[in-house]
Amino acid sequence: MTPTSSGRTLPFAAIALATAAVFLLAAATFFIAIGQAPLRAMIDLVLFATGDAFSRVESLLKAAPILLCAIAAAIPGRLGLISVGAEGQLHLGAIFGTALVLAMPQAPAIILLPATLLAAAVGGALWGGVPGWLRGRLSVNETITTLVMNYLGILMVNGLVFGPWRDPANLGWPATASFPDAARLPVLPGTGLHLGLFLGVLLALGCAFAFSRGIRAERVRVLAMNRKVGETYGLNFPRFAVILMATGGAAAGLAGICEAIAVQGRLQPGLSLGYGLTGFLVAWLCGHRFLLILPVSILVGGLLAAGDSLQLFHKIPASSATILQGLLFVTVLAVPGVLNRRAS
Amino acid sequence: MQYSPSDNMAGTAAIVPMVSFRGVVKRFGALTACDDVSFDVAAGEVVALLGENGAGKSTLMKTLYGIHPPDAGQVLVEGHPVAFTRPAEAMAAGIGMVFQTFSLLPALTVRDNLAMAWPGTPWFLGPQGRNARGALTRLAQLAPGIDPDARLGTLSTGEQQLVELTKVLNLSARLVILDEPTSVLTPAEAERLYGLIRDLAADGVAVVLITHKLADVEACADRVVVMRRGRIAGTGTASAMTRAAIVAMMMGDTGVRGGDPRGLPPRPDLPARPYPQLLLRDVTTGTAPADAKGITLTVNRGEILGIAGVTGNGQTALAEAVVGIRELTAGEVLLDGKTISRRRLEPRQPLAIGYVPENPRENGIVPGLSLAANLALRGIARPRQHTMHPEQVTQCLTDYDVRPPDPGRAAGTLSGGNVQKLVIARETGEQRDALLMVFPTMGLDITATASVYHRMVDAARAGAAVLWISEELDDLLELAHRIAVIRDGRISSGLPVTPQVTRAEIGALMTGGQP
Repeated sequence: MTPTSSGRTLPFAAIALATAAVFLLAAATFFIAIGQAPLRAMIDLVLFATGDAFSRVESLLKAAPILLCAIAAAIPGRLGLISVGAEGQLHLGAIFGTALVLAMPQAPAIILLPATLLAAAVGGALWGGVPGWLRGRLSVNETITTLVMNYLGILMVNGLVFGPWRDPANLGWPATASFPDAARLPVLPGTGLHLGLFLGVLLALGCAFAFSRGIRAERVRVLAMNRKVGETYGLNFPRFAVILMATGGAAAGLAGICEAIAVQGRLQPGLSLGYGLTGFLVAWLCGHRFLLILPVSILVGGLLAAGDSLQLFHKIPASSATILQGLLFVTVLAVPGVLNRRAS
Repeated sequence: MQYSPSDNMAGTAAIVPMVSFRGVVKRFGALTACDDVSFDVAAGEVVALLGENGAGKSTLMKTLYGIHPPDAGQVLVEGHPVAFTRPAEAMAAGIGMVFQTFSLLPALTVRDNLAMAWPGTPWFLGPQGRNARGALTRLAQLAPGIDPDARLGTLSTGEQQLVELTKVLNLSARLVILDEPTSVLTPAEAERLYGLIRDLAADGVAVVLITHKLADVEACADRVVVMRRGRIAGTGTASAMTRAAIVAMMMGDTGVRGGDPRGLPPRPDLPARPYPQLLLRDVTTGTAPADAKGITLTVNRGEILGIAGVTGNGQTALAEAVVGIRELTAGEVLLDGKTISRRRLEPRQPLAIGYVPENPRENGIVPGLSLAANLALRGIARPRQHTMHPEQVTQCLTDYDVRPPDPGRAAGTLSGGNVQKLVIARETGEQRDALLMVFPTMGLDITATASVYHRMVDAARAGAAVLWISEELDDLLELAHRIAVIRDGRISSGLPVTPQVTRAEIGALMTGGQP
């Protein structure tokens, strides 16, 4: 994004190859450490992620919320803001969307579905916009406010499903009533693949376009690289901070309601498998480049999905997928830096 | 007498120089910063190392100090070849360097700062070292006025420099390198430093003074070494060289035109019927020392009003208040009768006046954007951006001598002087009603400085009201119609520039009375 400082940099392909090699080595070490044949386990990992139609759908289902949460981090990231709040925004989106469904469960799908998505986006935007406003106007660190508001969002969902929204028919199980069919997201026939993924892809492409050309994109770049100069010439940093944080929040809000109405069919605890943080890492890994975020989200989604299958067939803990994901992030972040440092 | 060598050594020192550079070469990629440089510095000698920005002065000294080991050639200390790879090794060999930015900790007291770097402090006492009285003896000699228990951050820049110098001398430095030491000092502080340098030399310490100010040379140097484009352009005894000769050496064939060796343009005549253009009325940004407090000034059309003062006395607050990026707690700024300042920062409006901020690399450009985009920044907040044709951009860059004039190049890759030219091209490319320049020549070499002043004078001639905040007293006296002095955020006076106004008078106002 920024021009590199003086000194040589290695070709991208060499760095990518080296990074992949280091990751495979680390993953193999991990499998050996837990008593698995590394080659077998890794081949299975790829098979479980992409081997058949079912596993491919599972991978994409996991990728959808990661993609939306990555967008939620990348949009403010373009202004130089570090928002880790996608998790909370996701939960707020789920709350707002659910509130609407519970308020008018009889409404026809043509009204209920768009209204639900809109409400979710508003909920997420609110949870992003508030830290954006605090940052813009009062210079309150947005990383801390978004981090803390994550806990608020998660606990608010718990408070609602354990309390006022608990369906008595659930016999004590903390969850809302099942959503009516009208509120279900359209699904690709024969698969579980829902509209959320397409929303994410659309949003990523839209952002890639919007942030690459035009005077508004230029303004964001100016403010990101030198806020003072931008303000000297009349740009309103607080307004940009609110708008971009809220837009990002809306994307995460959509992820939340999609999980609730498409995957789980009700609002219940455990809505997110840490999608917010994963999305944040994906966004930063990709340098906030939306076109790069697309494939990386799907890759990471596949890793998470394959983790479930690994647990079933190899009898290794499901958290192995999280460990592999961690290894992936660390190598991708560390190896290029180390190589470039050596080269210059 | 701590530094004077023994009689035996003194005899040797007369033959063996303290430091010798022999064919030193230092390259950074394709750039050769030092190209086959050879010269000696004798003990007890003050050598002024002169040259424009980027001539290789600092780099050469850093080859000695272990920061940039040379690629070829040799550095000898007292006749022995050395190859320091870290400053610590150079310090151990008795070489100390005082940089433009100090390596002091503002939160600690002077005593702690000195004790921390004092070799006599036992390790188990660490930075506390309250008994390290030895660390303070030299401070008492150099600057008896500095309270050892004052927090360093509360000292003036000049005082901090003295503390840094004390720190270096405490390491038994026999060669002291000072990098542009007077650029941060008031005239009075500079005078005291000159005296101090002479005292050091009398004690047998070799001093290298990196500078681009001719005043430094005249005040205290024994010998002058001029560098140009990485090479030695000439050397000579300071007393035997004229200003013009030194400037000619620094500039080479592309020398300065006109009679003034610094290439300053003549001060423009004031228009026949002057009337106010820029009006500052009771401008106040707060109560801190660096805030502007109750500043009232009038700048007429075609007039250059200089504001003299030591950095950190409210200049930044004043400038930012005038351009509307800092909230005013009281007062207002009017341009042609219309208020341009703001009590609250919302809503924003495009900048009305030309503004050349201090430290343009940080405050004037967007480093990651192209030169063309940086030239168009003034229109960034307008609904539709006015873009120039690529040929127009190239033309503009060429007119303002921005090198290289490549519209697609990232602005952050330009050198300091070219960044300033780029900012000035943007701010004065069209005629403005008013122009505010803040320390516009800080860190620039003679050629770039002259070009900045030409643009400023041209803007005034074309009718702009120019408010010029500067530390360069000589230049202010030469070019401004009136000079006001800012201290602690207040304007002390507004003197017309007449032969009666002297450096000492203004210097006294800048520092608060004691000349």
